[in-house]
Amino acid sequence: MTMDYPYEDFLDLFFSTNTDTLATAASTSSCGYRLNDLDIDWDCDFRDVIESIMGDEGAMMEPESESVPMLHGQEGLCNSASTSLSLADGVSVEEPKTDESKGLRLVHLLVAAAEASTGANKSRELTRVILARLKDLVSPGDRTNMERLAAHFTNGLSKLFERDIVLRPQQHRDDVYDQADVISAFELLQNMSPYVNFGYLTATQAILEAVKYERRIHIVDYDITEGVQWASLMQALVSKNTGPSAQHLRITALSRATNGKKSIAAVQETGRRLTAFAESIGQPFSYHHCKLDTNAFSTSSLKLVRGEAVVINCMLHLPRFRNQTPNSVISFLSEAKTLNPKLVTLVHEEVGLMGNQGFLYRFMDLLHQFSAIFDSLEAGLSIANPARGYVERVFIGPWVANWLTRITADDAEVESLASWPQWLETNGFKPMEVSFANRCQAKLLLSLFNDGYIVEELGQNGLVLGWKSRRLVSASFWASHESNQ
Amino acid sequence: MFHAKKPSSMNGSYENRAMCVQGDSGLVLTTDPKPRLRWTVELHERFVDAVAQLGGPDKATPKTIMRVMGVKGLTLYHLKSHLQKFRLGKQPHKEYGDHSTKEGSRASAMDIQRNVASSSGMMSRNMNEMQMEVQRRLHEQLEVQRHLQLRIEAQGKYMQSILERACQTLAGENMAAATAAAAVGGGYKGNLGSSSLSAAVGPPPHPLSFPPFQDLNIYGNTTDQVLDHHNFHHQNIENHFTSNNAADTNIYLGKKRPNPNFGNDVRKGLLMWSDQDHDLAANQSIDDEHRIQIQMATHASTDLDSLSEIYERKSGLSGDEGNNGGKLLERPSPRRSPLSPMMNPNGGLIQGRNSPFG
Repeated sequence: MTMDYPYEDFLDLFFSTNTDTLATAASTSSCGYRLNDLDIDWDCDFRDVIESIMGDEGAMMEPESESVPMLHGQEGLCNSASTSLSLADGVSVEEPKTDESKGLRLVHLLVAAAEASTGANKSRELTRVILARLKDLVSPGDRTNMERLAAHFTNGLSKLFERDIVLRPQQHRDDVYDQADVISAFELLQNMSPYVNFGYLTATQAILEAVKYERRIHIVDYDITEGVQWASLMQALVSKNTGPSAQHLRITALSRATNGKKSIAAVQETGRRLTAFAESIGQPFSYHHCKLDTNAFSTSSLKLVRGEAVVINCMLHLPRFRNQTPNSVISFLSEAKTLNPKLVTLVHEEVGLMGNQGFLYRFMDLLHQFSAIFDSLEAGLSIANPARGYVERVFIGPWVANWLTRITADDAEVESLASWPQWLETNGFKPMEVSFANRCQAKLLLSLFNDGYIVEELGQNGLVLGWKSRRLVSASFWASHESNQ
Repeated sequence: MFHAKKPSSMNGSYENRAMCVQGDSGLVLTTDPKPRLRWTVELHERFVDAVAQLGGPDKATPKTIMRVMGVKGLTLYHLKSHLQKFRLGKQPHKEYGDHSTKEGSRASAMDIQRNVASSSGMMSRNMNEMQMEVQRRLHEQLEVQRHLQLRIEAQGKYMQSILERACQTLAGENMAAATAAAAVGGGYKGNLGSSSLSAAVGPPPHPLSFPPFQDLNIYGNTTDQVLDHHNFHHQNIENHFTSNNAADTNIYLGKKRPNPNFGNDVRKGLLMWSDQDHDLAANQSIDDEHRIQIQMATHASTDLDSLSEIYERKSGLSGDEGNNGGKLLERPSPRRSPLSPMMNPNGGLIQGRNSPFG
């Protein structure tokens, strides 16, 4: 995927001497750009380097036709409208010219940084330079979506970049948030967007339908996180089963030693919470914590009860501990299939799985995805709202960084899957239809939020939530071939 | 059939109008001398589910269906004829050879009609099926609405419990001495409500901790929503940090009528928040962020007492049809008393167990 760089503009961006106005962050730099501890004389040292590199791609670039004005005094611009910079089309007509062009430039810089950091023209220096420039230009507290998005991507790329350079372990202020912060941000996100709940509620509805007549239900949860999904399931079970026909619910949650002690403790804590919750509403419940030493999963580590209906739950649409790697998921699903599950629910983000595409392609895809996410958040809450900034910093920033780590080609487990549904289909799972009630619920959920959200059917056995024209997260349902309907 | 009317008119006023009574099994039977089962949409749905479970109308037998459905009062007789109709309905081209009749004369007349004018007969049958289908769908949609609200509520409550727990840990770390001193049996209120955080006044409680599910515009009442919502926020802000708010009960119980536009609502709520806190710049420090959570938790905790009353009456979350035990959680028509649990999705659940998280 190639980007058409406005070549001159790119250089201008670097070497412009109208410095006061370019940075919307608090910086008031003059001619010398602050570059951490590097002291660079732009004109001499790097112009050549950049020109030569850009020159390689010069054939693909065309000079920007219009003369883009320097960005003066952005304070004066009123930016209340959402800056929905559609990357695919490039230009959104309603936006103030300067914001949109700045947005474009940011995108170009980001892509340039991504390109410079990998691939044939890999150049560490260039990457560092571009990243430094980006940091100058943007910060997570900026006034437009694009700037904030760029800031998070810049941070993510920087972290990636610094992985290679042990010399400079930078302390990012926003590096590690404690659990309470993350949970708060998570709750806020749930209220701002249907993204989270779409996955949970759709899966839960399918589960309820599948186990309608079962006396005992056993759910094996790949990544239970806080267990929020199960609160609504328990409520539904309780309200449906009055009298002696109570269904017994059992949940087995997995934790992997590779994710660290914290994750194990978290799974235990979730178990306590769920047990307490179940008791408070009168739902027969038991919890089992299955500790895995490696990523490999084997059914022998599970406790099974005769006569129970097994459900496999796989929520992959939220950033959690590092290891939701494809191999781990595949191992899990393959093994779980031997349990003859009545239902397998799979919810995942519509990003990242790109078959054998290169890093840049995935990077662009990631940029699209998060751009859509930012836009969708904007539709719910204006950017000035501190809650937005909070969620972005605490939750989305690390999410971006996590993804960037996953898609770098250096990563051992490159995600070469084309798509999860495809994998499931070709590995002994049969699709399960989505019910009318489930579709209704999804539409109803969306109606609580902005119009820009859409829900579509995904084949016969799934639903996908999207923002405008971008798919965000999809839910699909399966069963093993041997399980009785 | 004429005789049927007389007994019903003699039996009582309510039966004058209703030809059907609902038995305790949930079945609707007519009040004819020969009680006929009314196949309601729900009952039919269960029937269809059971048949599907058994592998289709051809594989299912009345006996197995009866077992699967598990509905009291439903006899083989009922199921036999219904199943046959169902089978025929599914395959309109099949011959209407011999089928059991409820009332001999009537059925055979219908038979003749069908056989003579089979196409139109099929059409009317299909129309009926279609009508039933449409009805079924509408019914289902309403069910979905109701369920969704309850589920989101449940999730909200659960999230609150997590947040409180997390905040309590946080608060515990920061103000260990104070919390120890203020600890009263009953958990949160002692720890967070009065003592330690009374100093942290200022920014209002996090509005998003008010479950936005009041905004599910299920009953379509739209008039005073916005106003109510604002009042609600205001009052809550005033009541913030004061312990033991009986007043809160009234606020919440009195609250009703969802706001159709959740997005706007959230914005309003948060704008109020940001208005009152000018210092919260876009670049918050970590301290501020902690404050947010603490506020969220504290807000929730102040309502603990009012909630505990509510929950003493009914400790469950059931709210579905037929079950009237949870009066507050049940939904009568437009009035939304169940909003109280919605509004305070917190340790009312925990309260009953003496705060296991404490």
